[in-house]
Amino acid sequence: MSSLVVLGTTEQGLMYAIMVLGVYLTFRILNYADLTVDGSFTLGAATAATLITSGYNPWFATGVAFILGCLAGSFTGILHTKFKITPLLSGILTMTALYSINLRVMGKANISLLRERTIFSDFESLPYMQEYGVLILAFLTVVIIGFFIYLFLETEFGLALRATGDNELMIRSLGVNTDLMKITGLALSNGLVAFAGSYVAQNQLFADISMGIGMIIIGLASVIIGEVLIGTRTIAKAVLAVLCGGVIYRGIIAIVLQLGLVATDLKLITALIVILALITPQLRSKFSRPLKNV
Amino acid sequence: MLNVQNLVKIFNKGSVNEKTALDNISFNLNKGEFVTIIGSNGAGKSSFLNAIAGNFPTDSGTVIISDKNVTTLPQYERAKYISRVYQDPMSGTAASMTIEENLVMALRRGEKRRLKLAIRNKDKDFFRQELRKLGLGLEDRLTTKVSLLSGGQRQALTLLMATFKEPELLLLDEHTAALDPKTAEKVLQLTCDVTRDSNLTTLMITHNLDQALNVGDRTIMMHEGRIILDIHGEQRKTVTINDLLKMFENASGTQFHTDRALFA
Repeated sequence: MSSLVVLGTTEQGLMYAIMVLGVYLTFRILNYADLTVDGSFTLGAATAATLITSGYNPWFATGVAFILGCLAGSFTGILHTKFKITPLLSGILTMTALYSINLRVMGKANISLLRERTIFSDFESLPYMQEYGVLILAFLTVVIIGFFIYLFLETEFGLALRATGDNELMIRSLGVNTDLMKITGLALSNGLVAFAGSYVAQNQLFADISMGIGMIIIGLASVIIGEVLIGTRTIAKAVLAVLCGGVIYRGIIAIVLQLGLVATDLKLITALIVILALITPQLRSKFSRPLKNV
Repeated sequence: MLNVQNLVKIFNKGSVNEKTALDNISFNLNKGEFVTIIGSNGAGKSSFLNAIAGNFPTDSGTVIISDKNVTTLPQYERAKYISRVYQDPMSGTAASMTIEENLVMALRRGEKRRLKLAIRNKDKDFFRQELRKLGLGLEDRLTTKVSLLSGGQRQALTLLMATFKEPELLLLDEHTAALDPKTAEKVLQLTCDVTRDSNLTTLMITHNLDQALNVGDRTIMMHEGRIILDIHGEQRKTVTINDLLKMFENASGTQFHTDRALFA
Protein backbone atom coordinates (compact mmCIF):
# COMPACT_ATOMS: atom_id res chain seq x y z
CA MET A 1 0.00 0.00 0.00
CA SER A 2 1.34 3.40 -0.88
CA SER A 3 1.99 5.84 1.92
CA LEU A 4 -0.67 8.09 0.44
CA VAL A 5 -3.29 5.38 0.87
CA VAL A 6 -2.13 4.76 4.44
CA LEU A 7 -2.34 8.47 5.22
CA GLY A 8 -5.79 8.83 3.67
CA THR A 9 -7.07 5.72 5.43
CA THR A 10 -5.83 6.90 8.81
CA GLU A 11 -7.35 10.35 8.34
CA GLN A 12 -10.68 8.83 7.38
CA GLY A 13 -10.44 6.28 10.16
CA LEU A 14 -10.00 9.00 12.76
CA MET A 15 -13.06 10.87 11.50
CA TYR A 16 -15.17 7.72 11.47
CA ALA A 17 -13.89 6.96 14.97
CA ILE A 18 -15.87 9.95 16.23
CA MET A 19 -18.99 8.37 14.75
CA VAL A 20 -18.04 5.02 16.32
CA LEU A 21 -17.78 6.69 19.72
CA GLY A 22 -21.33 7.93 19.22
CA VAL A 23 -22.54 4.43 18.37
CA TYR A 24 -20.71 3.11 21.45
CA LEU A 25 -22.65 5.52 23.68
CA THR A 26 -25.98 4.10 22.59
CA PHE A 27 -25.13 0.50 21.71
CA ARG A 28 -22.94 -0.29 24.72
CA ILE A 29 -23.54 2.39 27.35
CA LEU A 30 -27.31 2.68 26.95
CA ASN A 31 -27.77 -0.84 25.54
CA TYR A 32 -29.89 0.70 22.80
CA ALA A 33 -29.52 -0.24 19.13
CA ASP A 34 -30.07 3.19 17.63
CA LEU A 35 -30.66 3.32 13.87
CA THR A 36 -30.97 7.10 13.86
CA VAL A 37 -27.24 7.05 13.09
CA ASP A 38 -27.78 6.35 9.37
CA GLY A 39 -29.76 9.57 9.11
CA SER A 40 -27.83 11.76 11.50
CA PHE A 41 -24.48 11.08 9.83
CA THR A 42 -25.86 12.40 6.56
CA LEU A 43 -27.59 15.21 8.43
CA GLY A 44 -24.23 16.41 9.71
CA ALA A 45 -22.66 16.23 6.27
CA ALA A 46 -25.64 17.91 4.59
CA THR A 47 -25.80 20.71 7.16
CA ALA A 48 -22.10 21.49 6.98
CA ALA A 49 -21.99 21.34 3.19
CA THR A 50 -25.05 23.54 2.76
CA LEU A 51 -23.88 26.15 5.26
CA ILE A 52 -20.37 26.23 3.81
CA THR A 53 -21.57 26.66 0.23
CA SER A 54 -23.84 29.44 1.47
CA GLY A 55 -20.78 31.25 2.73
CA TYR A 56 -20.88 30.44 6.42
CA ASN A 57 -17.76 29.85 8.49
CA PRO A 58 -16.90 26.11 8.31
CA TRP A 59 -16.23 25.89 12.07
CA PHE A 60 -19.64 27.36 12.71
CA ALA A 61 -21.15 24.92 10.19
CA THR A 62 -19.51 22.01 12.00
CA GLY A 63 -20.95 23.21 15.32
CA VAL A 64 -24.43 23.49 13.82
CA ALA A 65 -24.08 19.94 12.46
CA PHE A 66 -23.38 18.72 15.99
CA ILE A 67 -26.40 20.51 17.42
CA LEU A 68 -28.78 19.26 14.73
CA GLY A 69 -27.47 15.74 15.36
CA CYS A 70 -28.33 16.18 19.04
CA LEU A 71 -31.84 17.24 18.09
CA ALA A 72 -32.29 14.18 15.87
CA GLY A 73 -31.15 11.93 18.72
CA SER A 74 -33.46 13.63 21.21
CA PHE A 75 -36.36 13.09 18.83
CA THR A 76 -35.66 9.34 18.77
CA GLY A 77 -35.33 9.42 22.55
CA ILE A 78 -38.65 11.18 23.02
CA LEU A 79 -40.42 8.74 20.68
CA HIS A 80 -39.06 5.88 22.75
CA THR A 81 -39.41 7.19 26.30
CA LYS A 82 -42.51 9.38 26.15
CA PHE A 83 -44.52 7.46 23.57
CA LYS A 84 -43.21 3.96 24.35
CA ILE A 85 -42.21 3.13 20.77
CA THR A 86 -39.63 0.33 20.69
CA PRO A 87 -35.96 1.42 20.40
CA LEU A 88 -35.53 -0.09 16.96
CA LEU A 89 -38.67 1.45 15.51
CA SER A 90 -38.00 4.86 17.08
CA GLY A 91 -34.62 4.93 15.37
CA ILE A 92 -36.01 3.77 12.03
CA LEU A 93 -38.75 6.42 12.14
CA THR A 94 -36.27 9.23 12.75
CA MET A 95 -33.87 7.83 10.17
CA THR A 96 -36.63 7.69 7.54
CA ALA A 97 -37.82 11.20 8.34
CA LEU A 98 -34.23 12.44 8.17
CA TYR A 99 -33.85 11.17 4.61
CA SER A 100 -36.42 13.71 3.42
CA ILE A 101 -35.11 16.37 5.78
CA ASN A 102 -31.57 15.90 4.49
CA LEU A 103 -32.79 16.29 0.91
CA ARG A 104 -34.58 19.47 1.96
CA VAL A 105 -31.44 20.76 3.65
CA MET A 106 -29.26 20.08 0.63
CA GLY A 107 -31.87 20.89 -2.01
CA LYS A 108 -30.37 18.16 -4.20
CA ALA A 109 -28.84 14.72 -3.80
CA ASN A 110 -25.25 15.90 -3.48
CA ILE A 111 -23.25 19.03 -2.88
CA SER A 112 -19.66 19.57 -3.91
CA LEU A 113 -17.30 21.44 -1.60
CA LEU A 114 -14.56 21.75 -4.20
CA ARG A 115 -12.57 24.98 -3.72
CA GLU A 116 -14.72 25.88 -0.70
CA ARG A 117 -13.23 26.93 2.60
CA THR A 118 -13.39 24.02 5.07
CA ILE A 119 -12.01 23.43 8.56
CA PHE A 120 -9.26 21.41 6.90
CA SER A 121 -8.28 24.12 4.41
CA ASP A 122 -8.20 26.54 7.35
CA PHE A 123 -6.00 24.24 9.35
CA GLU A 124 -3.68 23.45 6.45
CA SER A 125 -3.01 27.15 5.97
CA LEU A 126 -1.39 27.28 9.41
CA PRO A 127 2.41 27.08 9.45
CA TYR A 128 3.88 23.53 9.08
CA MET A 129 0.42 22.05 8.56
CA GLN A 130 0.40 21.82 4.79
CA GLU A 131 1.35 18.17 4.54
CA TYR A 132 -0.23 16.52 7.55
CA GLY A 133 -2.83 19.12 8.49
CA VAL A 134 -5.83 16.86 7.93
CA LEU A 135 -4.27 14.04 9.90
CA ILE A 136 -3.28 16.30 12.79
CA LEU A 137 -6.63 18.05 13.02
CA ALA A 138 -8.50 14.74 12.89
CA PHE A 139 -6.17 13.26 15.50
CA LEU A 140 -6.48 16.24 17.85
CA THR A 141 -10.25 16.17 17.52
CA VAL A 142 -10.41 12.48 18.35
CA VAL A 143 -8.10 12.86 21.35
CA ILE A 144 -10.04 15.82 22.75
CA ILE A 145 -13.47 14.29 22.20
CA GLY A 146 -12.33 10.89 23.48
CA PHE A 147 -10.90 12.47 26.61
CA PHE A 148 -14.03 14.46 27.34
CA ILE A 149 -16.36 11.53 26.75
CA TYR A 150 -14.21 9.47 29.11
CA LEU A 151 -14.40 12.19 31.77
CA PHE A 152 -18.12 12.56 31.18
CA LEU A 153 -18.66 8.83 31.77
CA GLU A 154 -16.85 9.12 35.11
CA THR A 155 -19.05 11.96 36.39
CA GLU A 156 -22.11 11.48 38.57
CA PHE A 157 -24.23 12.10 35.48
CA GLY A 158 -22.16 9.68 33.42
CA LEU A 159 -22.47 6.96 36.03
CA ALA A 160 -26.24 7.39 36.03
CA LEU A 161 -26.20 7.13 32.23
CA ARG A 162 -24.21 3.90 32.35
CA ALA A 163 -26.44 2.46 35.03
CA THR A 164 -29.50 3.28 32.91
CA GLY A 165 -28.15 0.95 30.24
CA ASP A 166 -27.13 -1.68 32.77
CA ASN A 167 -29.97 -1.82 35.29
CA GLU A 168 -32.73 0.67 34.70
CA LEU A 169 -34.88 -0.51 37.60
CA MET A 170 -32.03 -0.03 40.04
CA ILE A 171 -30.93 3.43 38.99
CA ARG A 172 -34.53 4.66 38.86
CA SER A 173 -35.04 3.49 42.42
CA LEU A 174 -31.95 5.54 43.30
CA GLY A 175 -33.71 8.64 42.09
CA VAL A 176 -32.61 9.03 38.47
CA ASN A 177 -35.01 10.03 35.74
CA THR A 178 -34.05 7.32 33.27
CA ASP A 179 -36.11 8.85 30.43
CA LEU A 180 -33.98 11.96 30.65
CA MET A 181 -30.83 9.83 30.68
CA LYS A 182 -31.85 8.00 27.52
CA ILE A 183 -32.78 11.19 25.71
CA THR A 184 -29.49 12.84 26.72
CA GLY A 185 -27.47 9.78 25.73
CA LEU A 186 -29.16 9.55 22.33
CA ALA A 187 -28.70 13.27 21.78
CA LEU A 188 -25.00 13.20 22.58
CA SER A 189 -24.50 10.08 20.50
CA ASN A 190 -26.17 11.48 17.40
CA GLY A 191 -24.48 14.82 17.93
CA LEU A 192 -21.13 13.06 17.66
CA VAL A 193 -22.30 11.10 14.63
CA ALA A 194 -23.45 14.25 12.82
CA PHE A 195 -20.22 15.97 13.83
CA ALA A 196 -18.29 13.08 12.26
CA GLY A 197 -20.47 13.37 9.16
CA SER A 198 -19.55 17.03 8.80
CA TYR A 199 -15.84 16.17 9.10
CA VAL A 200 -16.07 13.43 6.49
CA ALA A 201 -17.93 15.69 4.06
CA GLN A 202 -15.35 18.46 4.46
CA ASN A 203 -12.52 15.99 3.99
CA GLN A 204 -13.89 14.24 0.91
CA LEU A 205 -15.20 17.59 -0.36
CA PHE A 206 -18.76 16.49 -1.00
CA ALA A 207 -21.92 15.53 0.81
CA ASP A 208 -24.19 12.88 -0.59
CA ILE A 209 -27.71 11.86 0.42
CA SER A 210 -26.73 8.19 0.63
CA MET A 211 -23.46 8.56 2.53
CA GLY A 212 -25.04 7.48 5.83
CA ILE A 213 -26.51 4.21 4.60
CA GLY A 214 -25.20 1.30 6.64
CA MET A 215 -23.39 3.64 9.03
CA ILE A 216 -24.86 1.89 12.09
CA ILE A 217 -23.40 -1.41 10.96
CA ILE A 218 -20.00 0.17 10.33
CA GLY A 219 -20.25 1.64 13.82
CA LEU A 220 -21.15 -1.69 15.40
CA ALA A 221 -18.40 -3.53 13.52
CA SER A 222 -15.86 -0.95 14.67
CA VAL A 223 -17.03 -1.08 18.29
CA ILE A 224 -16.77 -4.86 18.29
CA ILE A 225 -13.37 -4.94 16.57
CA GLY A 226 -11.99 -2.43 19.05
CA GLU A 227 -13.38 -4.25 22.05
CA VAL A 228 -12.02 -7.59 20.93
CA LEU A 229 -8.54 -6.24 20.20
CA ILE A 230 -8.12 -3.85 23.12
CA GLY A 231 -10.62 -4.89 25.78
CA THR A 232 -13.14 -3.10 27.96
CA ARG A 233 -11.94 -3.59 31.51
CA THR A 234 -12.17 0.08 32.37
CA ILE A 235 -14.07 2.94 30.79
CA ALA A 236 -10.84 4.58 29.66
CA LYS A 237 -9.85 1.38 27.92
CA ALA A 238 -13.27 0.94 26.37
CA VAL A 239 -13.26 4.48 24.95
CA LEU A 240 -9.76 3.94 23.58
CA ALA A 241 -10.88 0.59 22.17
CA VAL A 242 -13.82 1.94 20.19
CA LEU A 243 -11.78 4.85 18.82
CA CYS A 244 -9.07 2.45 17.67
CA GLY A 245 -11.80 0.14 16.38
CA GLY A 246 -12.96 2.91 14.06
CA VAL A 247 -9.48 3.39 12.63
CA ILE A 248 -8.77 -0.34 12.37
CA TYR A 249 -12.06 -0.92 10.56
CA ARG A 250 -11.02 1.60 7.90
CA GLY A 251 -7.67 -0.16 7.70
CA ILE A 252 -9.32 -3.52 7.10
CA ILE A 253 -11.53 -2.01 4.41
CA ALA A 254 -8.51 -0.44 2.72
CA ILE A 255 -6.68 -3.77 2.70
CA VAL A 256 -9.69 -5.59 1.35
CA LEU A 257 -9.98 -3.05 -1.45
CA GLN A 258 -6.28 -3.36 -2.23
CA LEU A 259 -6.77 -7.11 -2.53
CA GLY A 260 -9.10 -6.41 -5.42
CA LEU A 261 -12.56 -6.55 -3.94
CA VAL A 262 -15.00 -4.05 -5.37
CA ALA A 263 -16.28 -1.22 -3.17
CA THR A 264 -19.90 -2.30 -3.59
CA ASP A 265 -19.18 -5.51 -1.66
CA LEU A 266 -18.08 -3.58 1.42
CA LYS A 267 -21.45 -3.50 3.11
CA LEU A 268 -21.77 -7.26 2.77
CA ILE A 269 -18.35 -7.74 4.35
CA THR A 270 -19.17 -5.31 7.15
CA ALA A 271 -22.44 -7.10 7.87
CA LEU A 272 -20.59 -10.43 7.94
CA ILE A 273 -18.09 -9.05 10.46
CA VAL A 274 -20.92 -7.96 12.76
CA ILE A 275 -22.84 -11.23 12.35
CA LEU A 276 -19.71 -13.21 13.13
CA ALA A 277 -18.98 -11.13 16.21
CA LEU A 278 -22.55 -11.40 17.46
CA ILE A 279 -22.91 -15.15 17.01
CA THR A 280 -19.45 -16.22 18.16
CA PRO A 281 -20.25 -16.28 21.90
CA GLN A 282 -23.37 -18.36 21.28
CA LEU A 283 -21.64 -20.75 18.95
CA ARG A 284 -18.86 -21.15 21.46
CA SER A 285 -21.21 -22.11 24.30
CA LYS A 286 -23.23 -24.35 22.02
CA PHE A 287 -20.27 -26.38 20.86
CA SER A 288 -18.24 -26.41 24.03
CA ARG A 289 -20.90 -27.98 26.22
CA PRO A 290 -23.55 -29.97 24.36
CA LEU A 291 -26.75 -30.50 26.31
CA LYS A 292 -27.58 -34.08 27.17
CA ASN A 293 -30.95 -35.44 26.19
CA VAL A 294 -32.97 -35.57 29.36
CA MET B 1 -43.88 8.34 59.27
CA LEU B 2 -45.68 6.38 56.56
CA ASN B 3 -49.37 6.98 56.24
CA VAL B 4 -51.42 5.14 53.65
CA GLN B 5 -55.09 6.06 53.28
CA ASN B 6 -57.70 4.08 51.34
CA LEU B 7 -55.22 2.97 48.70
CA VAL B 8 -56.75 1.20 45.71
CA LYS B 9 -55.02 -0.37 42.72
CA ILE B 10 -56.88 -2.32 40.09
CA PHE B 11 -54.92 -3.90 37.26
CA ASN B 12 -56.49 -4.27 33.79
CA LYS B 13 -59.50 -2.27 34.86
CA GLY B 14 -62.61 -3.02 32.82
CA SER B 15 -61.24 -6.14 31.15
CA VAL B 16 -61.88 -9.81 31.88
CA ASN B 17 -58.49 -9.93 33.58
CA GLU B 18 -59.43 -7.24 36.05
CA LYS B 19 -57.62 -7.82 39.32
CA THR B 20 -57.89 -5.78 42.46
CA ALA B 21 -54.36 -5.78 43.81
CA LEU B 22 -54.94 -3.29 46.62
CA ASP B 23 -58.42 -3.10 48.06
CA ASN B 24 -58.84 0.11 50.01
CA ILE B 25 -55.78 -0.28 52.23
CA SER B 26 -55.18 2.06 55.14
CA PHE B 27 -52.02 1.65 57.12
CA ASN B 28 -49.93 3.67 59.50
CA LEU B 29 -46.28 3.14 60.31
CA ASN B 30 -44.42 4.91 63.09
CA LYS B 31 -40.87 6.09 62.85
CA GLY B 32 -38.38 3.33 63.66
CA GLU B 33 -40.95 0.57 63.37
CA PHE B 34 -39.98 -2.68 61.62
CA VAL B 35 -42.96 -4.45 60.10
CA THR B 36 -42.94 -7.87 58.49
CA ILE B 37 -45.56 -8.63 55.85
CA ILE B 38 -46.84 -12.12 55.10
CA GLY B 39 -49.56 -13.48 52.86
CA SER B 40 -50.06 -16.08 50.17
CA ASN B 41 -49.05 -15.53 46.56
CA GLY B 42 -51.09 -12.81 44.90
CA ALA B 43 -52.17 -11.32 48.22
CA GLY B 44 -50.90 -7.90 47.13
CA LYS B 45 -47.71 -7.71 49.20
CA SER B 46 -45.43 -6.67 46.38
CA SER B 47 -48.10 -4.42 44.89
CA PHE B 48 -48.31 -2.71 48.25
CA LEU B 49 -44.58 -1.98 48.26
CA ASN B 50 -44.71 -0.98 44.58
CA ALA B 51 -47.53 1.46 45.30
CA ILE B 52 -45.56 3.02 48.15
CA ALA B 53 -42.41 3.23 46.03
CA GLY B 54 -44.31 4.66 43.07
CA ASN B 55 -43.71 1.94 40.48
CA PHE B 56 -47.19 2.55 39.11
CA PRO B 57 -49.93 5.14 39.58
CA THR B 58 -52.67 4.09 41.99
CA ASP B 59 -56.40 4.43 41.32
CA SER B 60 -57.34 6.23 44.52
CA GLY B 61 -56.10 6.91 48.04
CA THR B 62 -53.05 8.71 49.33
CA VAL B 63 -49.50 7.85 50.37
CA ILE B 64 -47.81 10.21 52.82
CA ILE B 65 -44.18 9.84 53.82
CA SER B 66 -42.82 12.09 56.58
CA ASP B 67 -45.77 14.47 56.22
CA LYS B 68 -45.18 14.80 52.49
CA ASN B 69 -47.90 13.66 50.15
CA VAL B 70 -46.07 11.59 47.51
CA THR B 71 -49.13 9.98 45.93
CA THR B 72 -48.54 11.48 42.49
CA LEU B 73 -44.75 11.64 42.52
CA PRO B 74 -42.98 9.31 40.07
CA GLN B 75 -40.74 6.61 41.47
CA TYR B 76 -37.48 8.46 40.88
CA GLU B 77 -38.69 11.45 42.86
CA ARG B 78 -39.66 9.29 45.84
CA ALA B 79 -36.15 7.88 45.96
CA LYS B 80 -35.24 10.74 48.31
CA TYR B 81 -37.25 8.99 51.01
CA ILE B 82 -37.24 5.34 50.04
CA SER B 83 -34.62 2.61 49.64
CA ARG B 84 -35.49 -0.79 48.36
CA VAL B 85 -33.99 -4.26 48.14
CA TYR B 86 -35.58 -6.78 45.79
CA GLN B 87 -35.68 -10.55 45.91
CA ASP B 88 -33.44 -11.01 42.87
CA PRO B 89 -29.82 -10.29 43.87
CA MET B 90 -29.17 -9.17 40.27
CA SER B 91 -31.69 -6.38 40.35
CA GLY B 92 -30.16 -4.18 43.03
CA THR B 93 -26.77 -3.49 41.46
CA ALA B 94 -25.36 -2.59 38.05
CA ALA B 95 -23.31 -5.63 37.02
CA SER B 96 -21.02 -3.98 34.49
CA MET B 97 -19.96 -1.30 36.96
CA THR B 98 -17.51 -1.55 39.83
CA ILE B 99 -18.32 -1.88 43.52
CA GLU B 100 -17.29 1.70 44.22
CA GLU B 101 -19.32 3.01 41.29
CA ASN B 102 -22.38 1.22 42.55
CA LEU B 103 -21.80 2.54 46.04
CA VAL B 104 -21.36 6.12 44.93
CA MET B 105 -24.58 5.98 42.93
CA ALA B 106 -26.37 4.86 46.07
CA LEU B 107 -24.67 7.57 48.09
CA ARG B 108 -26.25 10.14 45.75
CA ARG B 109 -29.72 8.60 46.06
CA GLY B 110 -32.36 11.22 45.47
CA GLU B 111 -29.82 13.93 44.61
CA LYS B 112 -29.30 15.69 41.33
CA ARG B 113 -26.57 14.01 39.25
CA ARG B 114 -23.98 16.61 38.42
CA LEU B 115 -21.21 16.90 35.88
CA LYS B 116 -18.43 16.39 38.37
CA LEU B 117 -16.22 13.38 38.91
CA ALA B 118 -18.28 10.86 40.80
CA ILE B 119 -15.72 9.22 43.08
CA ARG B 120 -13.36 11.14 45.34
CA ASN B 121 -10.72 9.75 47.66
CA LYS B 122 -12.63 10.51 50.81
CA ASP B 123 -15.53 8.50 49.42
CA LYS B 124 -13.24 5.51 49.00
CA ASP B 125 -12.25 5.55 52.67
CA PHE B 126 -15.88 5.72 53.65
CA PHE B 127 -16.75 2.84 51.31
CA ARG B 128 -13.97 0.66 52.71
CA GLN B 129 -15.13 1.33 56.23
CA GLU B 130 -18.76 0.48 55.37
CA LEU B 131 -17.85 -2.62 53.35
CA ARG B 132 -15.76 -3.91 56.23
CA LYS B 133 -18.96 -4.15 58.29
CA LEU B 134 -20.28 -6.77 55.84
CA GLY B 135 -17.39 -9.03 56.71
CA LEU B 136 -17.10 -10.31 53.15
CA GLY B 137 -13.68 -8.92 52.26
CA LEU B 138 -15.21 -6.56 49.71
CA GLU B 139 -13.35 -3.59 51.21
CA ASP B 140 -10.25 -4.61 49.23
CA ARG B 141 -12.13 -4.98 45.98
CA LEU B 142 -13.52 -1.50 45.33
CA THR B 143 -12.68 -1.60 41.63
CA THR B 144 -14.01 -5.11 41.03
CA LYS B 145 -16.97 -5.32 38.69
CA VAL B 146 -20.11 -6.40 40.49
CA SER B 147 -20.74 -9.11 37.88
CA LEU B 148 -17.86 -11.05 39.47
CA LEU B 149 -19.58 -11.25 42.87
CA SER B 150 -21.80 -14.09 44.08
CA GLY B 151 -25.53 -13.63 44.62
CA GLY B 152 -25.09 -13.37 48.37
CA GLN B 153 -22.31 -10.80 48.05
CA ARG B 154 -24.41 -8.79 45.65
CA GLN B 155 -27.41 -8.86 47.97
CA ALA B 156 -25.28 -7.80 50.95
CA LEU B 157 -23.89 -4.99 48.81
CA THR B 158 -27.41 -3.98 47.78
CA LEU B 159 -28.47 -3.89 51.42
CA LEU B 160 -25.51 -1.69 52.25
CA MET B 161 -26.37 0.59 49.32
CA ALA B 162 -29.95 0.82 50.53
CA THR B 163 -29.06 1.74 54.07
CA PHE B 164 -25.73 3.59 54.36
CA LYS B 165 -27.40 6.79 53.31
CA GLU B 166 -30.23 6.39 55.76
CA PRO B 167 -33.63 6.30 54.05
CA GLU B 168 -36.83 7.48 55.72
CA LEU B 169 -38.33 4.17 54.69
CA LEU B 170 -36.67 0.87 53.83
CA LEU B 171 -38.59 -1.62 51.69
CA LEU B 172 -37.41 -5.23 51.64
CA ASP B 173 -39.15 -7.50 49.15
CA GLU B 174 -38.28 -11.06 50.17
CA HIS B 175 -34.69 -10.01 49.94
CA THR B 176 -33.28 -13.24 51.38
CA ALA B 177 -35.54 -15.68 49.51
CA ALA B 178 -33.21 -16.29 46.57
CA LEU B 179 -30.13 -16.98 48.70
CA ASP B 180 -28.85 -20.23 50.14
CA PRO B 181 -29.79 -20.73 53.81
CA LYS B 182 -26.44 -19.72 55.24
CA THR B 183 -26.13 -16.58 53.14
CA ALA B 184 -29.78 -15.76 53.81
CA GLU B 185 -29.10 -15.98 57.52
CA LYS B 186 -26.13 -13.65 57.16
CA VAL B 187 -28.02 -11.08 55.09
CA LEU B 188 -30.91 -11.19 57.55
CA GLN B 189 -28.52 -10.64 60.42
CA LEU B 190 -27.04 -7.65 58.59
CA THR B 191 -30.57 -6.37 58.05
CA CYS B 192 -31.41 -6.63 61.74
CA ASP B 193 -28.14 -4.94 62.74
CA VAL B 194 -28.42 -2.01 60.40
CA THR B 195 -32.10 -1.34 60.98
CA ARG B 196 -31.54 -1.40 64.73
CA ASP B 197 -28.37 0.70 64.69
CA SER B 198 -29.85 3.37 62.45
CA ASN B 199 -33.39 3.02 63.78
CA LEU B 200 -34.74 2.60 60.24
CA THR B 201 -38.43 2.44 59.49
CA THR B 202 -38.79 -0.82 57.60
CA LEU B 203 -41.34 -2.90 55.70
CA MET B 204 -40.20 -6.45 54.96
CA ILE B 205 -42.07 -9.03 52.92
CA THR B 206 -41.24 -12.60 53.85
CA HIS B 207 -42.54 -16.09 53.22
CA ASN B 208 -40.83 -17.42 56.29
CA LEU B 209 -43.37 -17.36 59.13
CA ASP B 210 -40.68 -17.83 61.74
CA GLN B 211 -38.93 -14.74 60.38
CA ALA B 212 -42.23 -12.93 60.22
CA LEU B 213 -42.75 -13.32 63.96
CA ASN B 214 -39.19 -13.01 65.23
CA VAL B 215 -37.76 -10.23 63.12
CA GLY B 216 -38.93 -6.68 63.68
CA ASP B 217 -41.67 -5.55 66.02
CA ARG B 218 -44.95 -5.85 64.16
CA THR B 219 -46.46 -8.35 61.73
CA ILE B 220 -49.20 -7.76 59.20
CA MET B 221 -50.88 -10.33 57.02
CA MET B 222 -52.37 -9.58 53.62
CA HIS B 223 -55.03 -11.39 51.68
CA GLU B 224 -56.75 -10.42 48.42
CA GLY B 225 -55.43 -6.89 48.56
CA ARG B 226 -56.42 -6.21 52.15
CA ILE B 227 -54.61 -6.23 55.48
CA ILE B 228 -56.44 -8.92 57.45
CA LEU B 229 -54.21 -9.12 60.48
CA ASP B 230 -52.02 -6.69 62.34
CA ILE B 231 -50.24 -7.91 65.49
CA HIS B 232 -47.67 -6.18 67.62
CA GLY B 233 -46.54 -5.63 71.19
CA GLU B 234 -47.26 -8.25 73.85
CA GLN B 235 -49.67 -10.18 71.66
CA ARG B 236 -46.98 -10.77 69.05
CA LYS B 237 -44.57 -12.21 71.59
CA THR B 238 -46.94 -15.05 72.46
CA VAL B 239 -48.12 -15.91 68.96
CA THR B 240 -46.78 -19.11 67.40
CA ILE B 241 -46.66 -20.12 63.76
CA ASN B 242 -49.66 -22.37 64.30
CA ASP B 243 -51.61 -19.51 65.83
CA LEU B 244 -50.72 -17.43 62.80
CA LEU B 245 -52.02 -20.11 60.42
CA LYS B 246 -55.26 -20.39 62.39
CA MET B 247 -55.69 -16.64 62.41
CA PHE B 248 -55.22 -16.66 58.67
CA GLU B 249 -57.87 -19.31 58.18
CA ASN B 250 -60.32 -17.48 60.42
CA ALA B 251 -59.72 -14.11 58.84
CA SER B 252 -59.68 -15.20 55.22
CA GLY B 253 -61.81 -18.32 55.21
CA THR B 254 -59.19 -20.21 53.20
CA GLN B 255 -56.07 -22.24 53.81
CA PHE B 256 -52.70 -20.56 53.87
CA HIS B 257 -50.44 -21.91 51.14
CA THR B 258 -48.10 -23.41 53.60
CA ASP B 259 -45.49 -25.49 51.82
CA ARG B 260 -43.22 -22.68 50.89
CA ALA B 261 -44.15 -20.61 53.91
CA LEU B 262 -43.51 -23.24 56.52
CA PHE B 263 -40.32 -24.67 55.21
CA ALA B 264 -38.79 -21.52 53.79
